[in-house]
Amino acid sequence: MNNRLRELRAERRWSQADLADHLGVSRQTVNAIETGRYDPSLPLAFKIARTFGAPIEAIFTDET
Amino acid sequence: MMSNAGPDRRSLSDVARDRAALRDATPAVAALVLVQASLIALDPDGGQSIGRAVWSLLPLLPFGWLVWTQVRAVRRADERQRVLQLSALAIGFGAAMALALLGGLLEGADLGDPAQSLQVTFIGATLAWIGSLGYLTRPAR
Repeated sequence: MNNRLRELRAERRWSQADLADHLGVSRQTVNAIETGRYDPSLPLAFKIARTFGAPIEAIFTDET
Repeated sequence: MMSNAGPDRRSLSDVARDRAALRDATPAVAALVLVQASLIALDPDGGQSIGRAVWSLLPLLPFGWLVWTQVRAVRRADERQRVLQLSALAIGFGAAMALALLGGLLEGADLGDPAQSLQVTFIGATLAWIGSLGYLTRPAR
């Protein structure tokens, strides 16, 4: 699964730690999602979408 | 909520989780050390009484407390950390099973000492668990 997390975070000038604070997860988890090493659960994906004020499908896209 | 502590700082939830884990585990570890020390220092008569059996099993109480703190740590973890922690626990469990089987096979062949085999199983499984947890949660940049 691809995502625009890094791009959206950069727009807000947030560090990974800042985004992790918003989401209540570790910085390593944000890093793992950004680099595609971990796909978030649906609740976390919704939380990410709410944080950036965008629909999930605008942040996460299928690789195929 | 933005922090000036640098981009590589740990998240606030991570700090809170670590503090809670320390708060949970410290009294449990202290109790285990205390019970073990008193077991060594105040060893009752060498008989086979029920009192001695109960006395010998006393460390199970603080050990159970420690297990409970570990369960709480897993529940407290974020979803990715939980996956990694459970993977490490599965590896530790696999190591315990393999070492127990090895000890049983050696005992069946009249080789080795059961008490020693038990210690090797406990220490080996703990090392496999802690080692795999350290590897899986190694810092990523």
